[in-house]
Amino acid sequence: MINIMESIIKLENVWKIYQLGKVELTALKGVSLDIYRGDFVTIMGPSGSGKSTLLNMIGCLDFPTKGKVFLKERDISQLSEDQLSQLRGKIIGFVFQEFNLMPNLTAIENVTLPMIFQGVSEKERKERGKNLLVSLGLGKRINHQPAELSGGERQRVAIARALANNPEVVIADEPTGNLDSHTGKKIMEVLKEFHQKEGKTMVVVTHDPNIAGYSEKLFNIKDGEIIQNHLQAQKYVWNK
Amino acid sequence: MEQIKEYFKIALRNLRTRSLRSWLTILGIVIGVFLIISLLSLSEGIKQTITQQLRALGGEVIFVMPGEISDPVAMFMSGAQLEREDIEGIERVRGVDVVLTMSYQSLLVRHEDEGKTIFTSGLSWEKGTEIMEKFQGWSLKEGGWPVPGKREVVIGSQVENNVFEKKVEVGDEIIIKGKRFEVVGILNSLGSKQDDTSIYLDLPLYQDLTGEKRGTAQMAMVKIKEGIPLDKTAEEIKKSLEKTRKRRVGFDAADFSVITSEKMEDIAGDILAVIQFAIIGFASIAIIVGGIGIMNTMFTSVRERTREIGIMKAIGAKNRAVLIIFLFEAGIIGLIGGIGGTALGFILAKVIENCGQAHYFSATVSPGLIVFGLSFSFLVGCLSGLIPATKAAKLKPVEALRRYE
Repeated sequence: MINIMESIIKLENVWKIYQLGKVELTALKGVSLDIYRGDFVTIMGPSGSGKSTLLNMIGCLDFPTKGKVFLKERDISQLSEDQLSQLRGKIIGFVFQEFNLMPNLTAIENVTLPMIFQGVSEKERKERGKNLLVSLGLGKRINHQPAELSGGERQRVAIARALANNPEVVIADEPTGNLDSHTGKKIMEVLKEFHQKEGKTMVVVTHDPNIAGYSEKLFNIKDGEIIQNHLQAQKYVWNK
Repeated sequence: MEQIKEYFKIALRNLRTRSLRSWLTILGIVIGVFLIISLLSLSEGIKQTITQQLRALGGEVIFVMPGEISDPVAMFMSGAQLEREDIEGIERVRGVDVVLTMSYQSLLVRHEDEGKTIFTSGLSWEKGTEIMEKFQGWSLKEGGWPVPGKREVVIGSQVENNVFEKKVEVGDEIIIKGKRFEVVGILNSLGSKQDDTSIYLDLPLYQDLTGEKRGTAQMAMVKIKEGIPLDKTAEEIKKSLEKTRKRRVGFDAADFSVITSEKMEDIAGDILAVIQFAIIGFASIAIIVGGIGIMNTMFTSVRERTREIGIMKAIGAKNRAVLIIFLFEAGIIGLIGGIGGTALGFILAKVIENCGQAHYFSATVSPGLIVFGLSFSFLVGCLSGLIPATKAAKLKPVEALRRYE
């Protein structure tokens, strides 16, 4: 691989320490990693390993206690909350385990919501939202509310929403966790397709080894540290 | 602007999905605004009626009434009388042209087997027709003036059609407190409901009916000669009354009021201002309670939708967007409450106006009052929503998302 690797999200010696009353809980212990353009990265680890905290860092949803997070080479600690929201909405798309759709809004309204926050015009929003839903096989579900959709359909709406602003990275937190294996597989196929066809960078958090099989790069996290990086699979280099 | 419109739509959508709670909260505001609109429209109506009535009286009249004007209840309820010598004293004051004495009371009046309690005024026709006709603009729609001393009455314009089921016509017989009277004239409208629903008869006959002593009166209207200053004459009348009353043992010298019609308008205005102030005060309490209701709903809503707020922020919503959406929700609750309250207040005002046979005022709902009601309630909604909305806006996306995990 000789192409120039552009880091979209970079973590530099990131620590996250939660203050639970008088007890300190260290969720991340000096994690450093890069998400490069075009990556398909899987983050694996048992519950309590700091996986969710790491995802929050990569997704720029939270600030580290120590260390730095760069979103497209900008130190997020230098940004205001609003600037970060704006940037996050533009660069990152989220897919959650529980779908996290707005229950009051229809499929198309859910998909167009991130575009409203980016100030996209109504005409463009509708067109793009509809195209996305159609491409995900939801052409007949456009005006349905989440409650009227199956789990797989809901997750596809969520994927459409994640892609609404044409982000560079899609971060999926256990995207198949609430789905049966058949549907889960289909969802992963969808993500893979967007990765391959549109070159979207994918970051998937999972504990399912089958899902990990879709990725080209695997971070194993345990007790707040990355213990394995499968890109260097043959060597099993231990982090520190 | 485009975004604001979308936020408004989202806010509307959110309200619709929790409609029962929204409606209950709206009800709180409806009650408050309803109170404000109905009470203010009624007091505005009273004010207009009084002004109208006073204007009909003209500016050159002095009223002599029992009781202290500063104590309206005592003024109308005391039953204090102007005695014969009081009246004669007034007549002797320089500059006084005519003294018209009157008494009034609600009496049972029968027409064609139908009994109604009607405001009945006794005024002496000998002097009265002149003052009333030339000076105060009374005129007859039909018939003629009663002959003094004869059992004849004139009726207010609304007595003709609106008081009894059967139309009262000139020549009809009516029975007041068991005595027969003939209707000889019907007045044109005098511009106030009270005057238009009254019956007028000769003072001595009225006093025979009610048992009031002849030569006395409940009040007097004094017309002064041209070119004589009103205030000065009023002062002199006051002095004369003090003198005659002092002569009688056991009378408090200050149990009457001498006022010019101008001053009366001032006093009425002052009293009404106090009443309106009190109304606004009480209704504001109702509105504040409604506002607390909105705040409560909004806090609950922020709590319930913590996760939604987290999602919105994760997908790019700025703090301002969340703030605006929640403020809109609170404002819409307030506004709908305001619309409901204004409509109900308007309806109540109209109902009172229409079945107002026994009431002496009409209700006035001015466009200004409506605009006030609506903008005030929207503002109350927004203000009540401010703290919850700020709380929602400040939520950290990661915490909002974690909440239910």
